[in-house]
Amino acid sequence: MDLATLLFWIFAVIMVGAALLVVGLRDIVHSALALVVVFAMAAGVYVLLDAEFIAIVQILIYVGAVTILVLFALMLTRIEGQRHTNPTNKLWPVAAVICVAIGAVIVYAFSESKHAVSTTIAASDVVKQLPNNVVRIGQLLYSPTNYSYVLPFEIASLVLLVAIVGAIVIGRED
Amino acid sequence: MHLTLEHVLVLGAVLFCIGLYGAITKRNAIAVLMSIEIMLNAVNITMVGFSYFDTVKLYSQHLTGQIFAIFIITVAAAEAAVALAMVIAIYRKRATVDVGEIDMMKW
Amino acid sequence: MLYQLSWTILFAPLLAFAVIIFGTRVWDLRSRPKVALPAAEHGHGEHHTDDHDTHAVTDEHGHGGHSEQDEDDDPHVPQLSAGAKASAYAALVIMALACIYSWVLLFSTVLHPADLAAAGKEVFAYNWLSVGGLNYIVGFHLDRLGIAMMVVVTTITFLVQFYSQGYMENSAGYARFYAYLSLFAFSMLVIVFAENFLVIFCGWELVGLSSYLLIGFWINKRAKPEEQRPSPASANLQAFIMNRIGDVGFILGIMILFVNTGSFDFIAVQHGVVHMDKTLLGIAMILVFCGAMGKSAQFPLHTWLPSAMEGPTPVSALIHAATMVAAGVYMIARTSPLFATAAPFAWEVVASIGAFTAFFAATIALVQSDFKRVLAFSTISQLGYMFVGLGVAGPEYGVGPGMFHLFTHAFFKALLFLGAGSVLHGLHHAMHKEVQDVRLMGGLASKMPITAATWLIAVLAISGFPGFSGFYSKEEIIGLALEQGHPVIYALTLATAGLTAFYMLRAFILAFGGKGGKFMGLWGGPYRGYGEVKESPLYMTIPLMLLVIPSVLAGYWTGFYQYVNVSAENVANLSIPALFQATDTWIGVIVSLVGLGFAWFLYGRVDLVKINQVVQSNAALRTIHRILFNRYYVDDLYNWIVKYVVLGLAALAQAFDRYIVDGIVNGVASGVTGTGSGIRRLETGRVQSYMIGFFGGVAVLAVVFVVLITTVWK
Repeated sequence: MDLATLLFWIFAVIMVGAALLVVGLRDIVHSALALVVVFAMAAGVYVLLDAEFIAIVQILIYVGAVTILVLFALMLTRIEGQRHTNPTNKLWPVAAVICVAIGAVIVYAFSESKHAVSTTIAASDVVKQLPNNVVRIGQLLYSPTNYSYVLPFEIASLVLLVAIVGAIVIGRED
Repeated sequence: MHLTLEHVLVLGAVLFCIGLYGAITKRNAIAVLMSIEIMLNAVNITMVGFSYFDTVKLYSQHLTGQIFAIFIITVAAAEAAVALAMVIAIYRKRATVDVGEIDMMKW
Repeated sequence: MLYQLSWTILFAPLLAFAVIIFGTRVWDLRSRPKVALPAAEHGHGEHHTDDHDTHAVTDEHGHGGHSEQDEDDDPHVPQLSAGAKASAYAALVIMALACIYSWVLLFSTVLHPADLAAAGKEVFAYNWLSVGGLNYIVGFHLDRLGIAMMVVVTTITFLVQFYSQGYMENSAGYARFYAYLSLFAFSMLVIVFAENFLVIFCGWELVGLSSYLLIGFWINKRAKPEEQRPSPASANLQAFIMNRIGDVGFILGIMILFVNTGSFDFIAVQHGVVHMDKTLLGIAMILVFCGAMGKSAQFPLHTWLPSAMEGPTPVSALIHAATMVAAGVYMIARTSPLFATAAPFAWEVVASIGAFTAFFAATIALVQSDFKRVLAFSTISQLGYMFVGLGVAGPEYGVGPGMFHLFTHAFFKALLFLGAGSVLHGLHHAMHKEVQDVRLMGGLASKMPITAATWLIAVLAISGFPGFSGFYSKEEIIGLALEQGHPVIYALTLATAGLTAFYMLRAFILAFGGKGGKFMGLWGGPYRGYGEVKESPLYMTIPLMLLVIPSVLAGYWTGFYQYVNVSAENVANLSIPALFQATDTWIGVIVSLVGLGFAWFLYGRVDLVKINQVVQSNAALRTIHRILFNRYYVDDLYNWIVKYVVLGLAALAQAFDRYIVDGIVNGVASGVTGTGSGIRRLETGRVQSYMIGFFGGVAVLAVVFVVLITTVWK
């Protein structure tokens, strides 16, 4: 077992545990903190998978922005005198069965797939010789002439603009 | 034992199912949103995993999976902003964030 | 070229119709004074002026010499506008040109028969629709039979239009009337020119529509139950529906022919039916004849024709002489090669129904007191003759005798009706109300000499008095019935000839003569109405005088049989010397003379009141009179059938519809509603229960998929 695999396992176990805490804790603020752990571990996994840029973005946006947003929302929607701020409804047994079934089928599908990827070897050596990950993604996102994602990128910026306006319109007090 | 695609995919699947469970069962609207964030992250991990273990990458140098992940993060951020604004608006109107009580969309 | 351009005759009346409807009539309506709403203070609340003219309303009464008691239901204008007059002139000029053209065609084909092939010539064809191998062609063709008919149609229409200038004076619907007359002529010409069954059927329905519009021209007029007269609005409906009944047969007949020959074209069908089963063809032709029965008012579909008398009298003249009822006879003549090919019973049915109708209608006409209704029944009777003529002629004579009677009858029947119109017009001006009852006439000959003289000539013509046109056409038919071995038909037609002579002279004497008149009551006598009756204006008397010419002379066209012959073989022509030498001709003449003499003797010398007293005092005579007067109760029978059978079935159907059909539909609906209100409880409005549904479905599908790929698809 090499170092990468070991780290992956550590990250994965912490991540799944934190995710379970997110859905399991009774206090929603604790859940939100567990969510931070999930996001951070995901960033670690991205680093292992040679996606440094995404790992950084993950930290910035999820751990930084989204978590703060969630915490602000929690603060603004606090209900006085409520002890269990993160309750569960009566559907949980059904939901559990459904989730286990879906998860099992997904895992089964991996193992039975004709494109079974067990033999796939990480091409990390090759990747190392390429321009680094951030440069590559920048080229893909911004190159006006080559094969690139300029148009979707611009559209994404538009989506963000609309989301900003929408959030302000919806959230403001009239 | 090397790190393989299966590892990543199973991690993504497990996270997705946990997020799904939370989205279905949590009564607090913000908890539902957090669960959805977990699901989105699970998908991102899967995407990046596919990108990393892409056998064609040698020739095409495509980082399509990572690009996807970037867009998902973008949209997820937008979604989080709008959804939380909605939760706050609903809270102002009805003084609750319980999803079970928000049932205007029937009949 | 002369023949090729003959389609202009067909479209000329349509042009006139369009010009009037879109041009001059609009001008007419625009020029009328604008009054807010129809005047309700006139006592007749539902009176409007012209039918659709909501923006131009005129005073209905108190104009043009009509007093306030005037019961006329035809709204009037004080003065015809320039637009109205222009409408009449447009229709007249166009119809005059068409008339001249058709006479040119007639003389041209008579003088140079070789110019136009016997089979005719296609003058207009438009491929309307091609489906599979079938072409539905709007085609018109010209042949001699068509030319003969065309001459009748255009001439009579022109004269009727000319005459209407007097008869319809100051009518608010003047322009509309001319538009309808033009449309009527166009419709009939479509039938005349038709090249195939589809086109003839279109013309057939167009004629129905035009007659509907014209019979109901006086839409405001009400029914007069005391005179057994329906309102025009119901009379035109009756005409329309009666014709539909016949048309069902017509369509079925066309369908049978089409299925068996694969074509609508007359000539193609004619070639195709040779291989058809003779009995089936006979049935098809009888079905086609059903259409003719409706249009030509043969028993049992005759009741609409007397009701159609509610239309303006010029319309009656047009319907009875040229356009409507002639269509049936013409159509049978047009399809006569098919009848000839069919089993013999087809012609026998035609002849038998014709003979029966002739006799049946003649007996009814004996006692009618309504002036126009006598003429209506005489038309039905004469149409019966035409069908007898077509039915019994056989290959030696072809369609000649039947068509010949149509030809001559058109002129003298137009004369009779226009003369009757002249009488009614005069009485209307004298009594300020619509009078059609002969009991209010009498002695009019000295007051309206031109009308009376022309009418007398027409009476002699229709009675078959030797030398007049009716004699040649009718005696020939009666003679043929005997010659071709139909003794019953011969007896019926012969008796009808006597009855015809009797009731026509009776009508004449009741209107124009009476006890105390000159020539043993024939000319002049006591007038039973009131008011000052004057001769009609020249507009009306000129057509009468013109119609006298063909009423007398049309019978001398001895080449007619061969002229209108549509079969391949030559046919015998009318031979006047042979006709005069035949014994049965003289028997017919004697019967007619007896009828004439009896009528003259009875009504010229005995007062009408006294005759009625005698009839009423004798039980047998009274019963017969009542039966005949009520037209054998056929109308009442139809009313009874409609009231109890048709409406009963309708009530049954309605009940079925309401309780069973609606029950099923409503049951389904309430079932759906119930299920829906049950199911809607599943719609909690909570997003998480929807997620359960969605992801539960995904899970089930995923599990099913896995099970399938592991077991079945492996």
